Amino acid sequence: MLAVQVLINALVLGCLYACIAIGFSLVWGVLNVINLIHGSFIVLGAYLAWGAYQWAHISPWYALLFAAPLFFGFGYLLQRLLLNRVISAPVLVTLTLTFGLDLILNNAMIYYFKADYRKLTLSPPTGSISLFDVVVPVDRLIATASALALTGLLYLLLRRSKVGRAIVAVRLDRDAAVLMGVDVKSIYAVAFGLGAALAGCAGVLMALIFPISPLTSSAYLGKAFVVCVLGGLGSVSGALAGGLLLALVEGIGSVYLGPAHATTLSFVLLIVFLVARPQGLLGRKGFE
Amino acid sequence: MFHPRFGCVSASLLLALASFAVPSPASAEDVIRFGAPLPITGPLAPEAAAQQMGYNLWAEEANKAGGINVGGKKYKVEIVYGDYQSNTPRSVQITEQMITQDNVNFMFGPFGSGAAKAASTISEKYKVPTIAASASSSQVYDQNYKYLFGTFTPNDTLTTPLTGIIKAKAPDVKKVAILARNDLFPLAIAQEMEKSAKANGFEVVYFEKYAINTLDHSATLSQIKSLAPQWIFVTGYINDLLLIRKQMTDQQMKAPVVTMIAGPAYQTFIETAGQSAENISSASWWHPAEQYDGKDIFGKTSNFVKLFKAKYNSDPDYAQASAAASGALFQMAIEKAGSLDRDKVRDALASLDVMTFWGPVKFGSNGQINSLEPPVFQIQNAKPVVLYPDAIKQGEFKLGVN
Repeated sequence: MLAVQVLINALVLGCLYACIAIGFSLVWGVLNVINLIHGSFIVLGAYLAWGAYQWAHISPWYALLFAAPLFFGFGYLLQRLLLNRVISAPVLVTLTLTFGLDLILNNAMIYYFKADYRKLTLSPPTGSISLFDVVVPVDRLIATASALALTGLLYLLLRRSKVGRAIVAVRLDRDAAVLMGVDVKSIYAVAFGLGAALAGCAGVLMALIFPISPLTSSAYLGKAFVVCVLGGLGSVSGALAGGLLLALVEGIGSVYLGPAHATTLSFVLLIVFLVARPQGLLGRKGFE
Repeated sequence: MFHPRFGCVSASLLLALASFAVPSPASAEDVIRFGAPLPITGPLAPEAAAQQMGYNLWAEEANKAGGINVGGKKYKVEIVYGDYQSNTPRSVQITEQMITQDNVNFMFGPFGSGAAKAASTISEKYKVPTIAASASSSQVYDQNYKYLFGTFTPNDTLTTPLTGIIKAKAPDVKKVAILARNDLFPLAIAQEMEKSAKANGFEVVYFEKYAINTLDHSATLSQIKSLAPQWIFVTGYINDLLLIRKQMTDQQMKAPVVTMIAGPAYQTFIETAGQSAENISSASWWHPAEQYDGKDIFGKTSNFVKLFKAKYNSDPDYAQASAAASGALFQMAIEKAGSLDRDKVRDALASLDVMTFWGPVKFGSNGQINSLEPPVFQIQNAKPVVLYPDAIKQGEFKLGVN
């Protein structure tokens, strides 16, 4: 029964990891920007959910509806006003810029919210479902379903919509996309906005599961990075595969080798992938 | 080629820099500077905030009374803070910087046993008396440093009475699972707990460490649940314990006894964990219910609690009290020595045998306090209720954590 429980835990956690990583993967894949502000976006999303519930009694599920456009706008403007200015510079320049922006946002959150930990506790609590001794917390289950829905929406957007096709085109061949009349700067801003929106929504969902503090942003960023490398950059299904693989390795590692070695095991896996399969599990050149 | 104008500018720049580096005689005469390296940012920030509140309260009270009396002359207290960003190697650098560049007279140790041990090598090298306000592990003091003192008794003074209470009040509890943060103090106290449990006839069915900054504990907790322990003992700091408690509830884990060290002593833990904090037992080095009549600046414990409440509008926890007590102990030692000479103050600290609001204070030959009787408590109705020692007992132990 322990094996089934660990497997279920890993499946649920894997989807949450995918949700954390997908926006990061999109931005890295399309813009070739390692967006170090991603972890802080997630934490800001968590504070938004916490604040909305605390002060206006708005359930986190509804908070998703306004978190997405809010973060999209924020990300879009950030890309348009700042990142687009250095987008063609070497990757170190954009890395440094997002690092600086992350310091500002993270310290602003420490200033306003303090470093204390907060928890979003739903009233009444959602509890857990138990079936044949296998227990799954309802909040994780709903967060997983929402994460899958968001992932599906992104997949549809990229495959079916005109903007989505333009994003894929820019990802595949920037110069050819320009020749086809795609406004690359706009597409960059849309892709970064989408990445921010996904991070904000991930934050809203994580608020239900993990304590909220500006200090958790580096943990989210670390997970996003590992998931992207394992799954493959820029691909929706890659993020899902990477998330599941990471959660599974961590789960099995902590049961059989002890929790202290679970993280070590996931980073060993990261190194193995970087050496043996740098494109990740499902990494391809485009989104098809 | 050397440009004369440039030379002139750099000479005045050097002079300006020199005047910054060396404190003016007036300020050096009137002020005693205490260095306090703290993890003001990073994962240990809540703990640093608690300690800072204690230091600030003491400095404010000391200055309100005119300052520290050194051989008939009053000196104001100034605390020099440094942020080591929850990064232990940086705490060592900052300690050295405070001693060599900021010209502090005395030092407070950084937070926790790990950082306090690392930084103590520096203060020992420069012979600067240091009080560690939050280091309990024997590994900090077994270095037998001459200039290091600590206000926390060894870890077994927490686990021994705790095991005694559980053995007496919950005779059906036989199996113990221990989960420890892989960090100096949390691991040391877990190992002490393992020893104490085995010595008292408990069966330790699980003993594992988790990595610092672990986000998900679900697989570990599932494994513990499958072993059906009656006593779950978890160590870590506030964030770890909140996370683990939430995930225990998610997994519908129930046990007659759940002990967590060192989160439940903090108000933040009780408020954030809410209902799930109920009946969690813990132990710490001090509790506001204690009733000592101190000879220090705060006097009675109740007076310290009153002053703390007036300033911060909350009850003090053991970390805040220890920080304030460390300051008060320095003050007593300096006044006893009648001098700011570091060796004289060190000797005065070593020979202290005095009652304070923190409790009776006497340091052992290794510098660690050996005179306290740390309380065991349990969260009942969102309040920490003291179970031990009997002199300040506020309630009976309750079984069952759901």
